[in-house]
Amino acid sequence: MVRNADPELSPDTDPGKLPAAGSHLADRLKRAVTWLRQPWPAPPTALRRGPMKRGAFGSRLRSPRLTSLLGLGLAVAFSVCFVTGLVSHFIQHPPFWFEWPSRPAGLYRVTQGLHVATGLASVPLLGAKLWSVYPRLFSWPPARNLAHAVERASVAVLVAAALFQVCSGILNISRWYAPMPFFFTAGHYWAAWLAIGALLVHIAVQLPIIRQALTRATPDRTPPGGLSRRGLLATVGATAGVITLGTVGQTVAPLAGISVLAPRRPRTGPQHLPVNKTAGGAGVRDAAFDPAYRLTVAGPARTVTLSLAELTALPQHTVVLPISCVEGWSSVGTWTGVRLRDLVALVGVDPDDAEAHVESLETHGRYRATTVPPPHTRDPWTLIALRLGGEPLHPDHGYPARLIAPNRPGVLQTKWVARITARSTS
Amino acid sequence: MTTARRCLLAIGATALTYAVIGALTDPDVKFGALIFLVGVLVAHDAVLLPVTVGVGILVGRYAPRRFRGLLRAALVVSLAVTIVAFPLVLGRGRTVDNPSVLPLHYGRGLLEIYAVIWATVAAAAAVQAWRGRSRRTAEAALDLDLDGES
Repeated sequence: MVRNADPELSPDTDPGKLPAAGSHLADRLKRAVTWLRQPWPAPPTALRRGPMKRGAFGSRLRSPRLTSLLGLGLAVAFSVCFVTGLVSHFIQHPPFWFEWPSRPAGLYRVTQGLHVATGLASVPLLGAKLWSVYPRLFSWPPARNLAHAVERASVAVLVAAALFQVCSGILNISRWYAPMPFFFTAGHYWAAWLAIGALLVHIAVQLPIIRQALTRATPDRTPPGGLSRRGLLATVGATAGVITLGTVGQTVAPLAGISVLAPRRPRTGPQHLPVNKTAGGAGVRDAAFDPAYRLTVAGPARTVTLSLAELTALPQHTVVLPISCVEGWSSVGTWTGVRLRDLVALVGVDPDDAEAHVESLETHGRYRATTVPPPHTRDPWTLIALRLGGEPLHPDHGYPARLIAPNRPGVLQTKWVARITARSTS
Repeated sequence: MTTARRCLLAIGATALTYAVIGALTDPDVKFGALIFLVGVLVAHDAVLLPVTVGVGILVGRYAPRRFRGLLRAALVVSLAVTIVAFPLVLGRGRTVDNPSVLPLHYGRGLLEIYAVIWATVAAAAAVQAWRGRSRRTAEAALDLDLDGES
C-alpha cells in the first residue's frame, strides 16, 4: 500500500496491443477493462473530515522508501513462515507426492523453531509497516473506480490475514484458545494462504513503486532530534532481536536463562522434559497402569500381543532424540526401548518397506493415532520407548510405551501406545 | 503491466481462491475464523494504531526536541514486546495438572525487559546530551576565535 503512482491495475489497457477488431474475446476484454476503470462519481467533499483531510498525518518519517524497506523485510519473514508452516502441515497431512525424511533427526526442530521465532520477530515489522501506510487507509476519494476498490479490498484482506496469523500464533504458543472461535490449526493454515495470496497480489500492484523506492535514493526529511528513517529501521531490528532473545530459549536451551518470555523451558517438566498433553488430560491413567495392558502388533499374516515385561525382554536400544513441538519449543531426551522396525519384523513385514499405524490408549482426540511413514519405520532410531533418561516413562510422557522417531513433530510422537498395525508398502 | 507482475497477480489470485474455497469447505474453520479476521483488523486499525499515533503526537508536542527520537524508539520496542508478552502475563493457558506449560513469572520477565529497554535508552540519551554539550562548548570556543580574528 505504498503511494499509488501507477493505478494501472488491469492488464491490456493499451488498445494497440489488442488483436484486430472482430475478435469477440478482445472486444469483451476491452469492455470489461473499460467497465472496471470507469470513474466513479466523486463523493461530496463535505464528507472529507478528520483523518481524511489533506495533511492530517504529519510525520515526515513516512515515505515509499521506508514502507518498501519494511515491506521487503516482512515479505522475507512471511515467506519463511509460509514455507516452514507448509512443511509442518504436509508432515501432518501428507499429500501423495510429499515425503519427509527421517534424517537429519533435528531438522523439524529447526524448521518449526524458525517458524515460531520468525513469526514473533515479525511483530515489530508488521506494526511499523502498517503504521507507515496508515494515512493510505483514509485516502480520498475512498475508491476511484471498481478496479481501485478491488485493489483496496485486497489490501484489507492482506492486513487482516497478516494480523490473523501473528495474533493467532501468539495466542497459540500461550495456549490461550478462548479468543479464537475456531480450530487454530485449520484457521492458521487457511489464513496463511490468504496472506500469501494477498501479498503476491499486493507486490504485483506495487512493484513499480517498490522498485523505484528501493533503487533510487530518497533523502530522509525527518527533523533533527526525531526518529530518522535509519533510526526507525534500527529500532525495528532491535525490537525483533529483543523478542527473539526473550523467547527463543524455548528451543535453544543455552538461551533459556535469558528468555524470560519463553512459553516453555526445555528442561522444565516431568523427567526434565515439557509435556503438552497429560495422562490425566488424555483420560488414559487407568488404562496405562492396568496390569492387563498389552501392546498389540498386527500384520497381514499374524498378530502378536506383548505385555510390558515381554516388551522389556526384547532387544533394547537407546537414542538421544528431541521432542519438537509445533508450538516451537523443543527438548532433547535419552530414550530407551524397542525399535519399531523390530516390532514390524516380528509380525512378518519387511521393515525396510513398511508403514506403521500407531494407536494410543486414548479413545478419542485428533491425535490419538498416527501413521509412521516408510522412512521413519525403517529408521533404527525410531523406537517404541519404555524409558526416558534411564527411568520408566512418566505417565505424562506416555507410560507404558510411546513412539519416538527422528525428525517428526511432537504431536505425531504418539504416547500410551496400545496398538501397532504394520503394512507393507512395496 | 509486465509479465512478472501478471504472473505474481495470477499466482496471488489463485492462492486467494484456494484459501477462500478451502476455508469455506473446512468444517474446522467455521464462521468464527471470519469474526476473528475482521476483529483483529478493526482492533488494529481502529484502536491500536490510533492510540499509537496519538501517543506519537503527544511525544512530538511535549517531549524535549533532542530526546524525541530515543523516546519514540523506546516506546516502539516496549509496545511490540508488550504485544508478545500480554497473553503470557495473563497466563490463561495454564492448567492445574501441567506445570510445564507457561512455567515462568512472565509479569516479572516483562518488567525486566522494560528495565533493559529504558536503561539502554536513558544511557543513549545521556551520551547524546554529553556530546551535545561538548559540541556546544566547541562551537562557543570557535565563536571566540572568530571574534578574536575580527
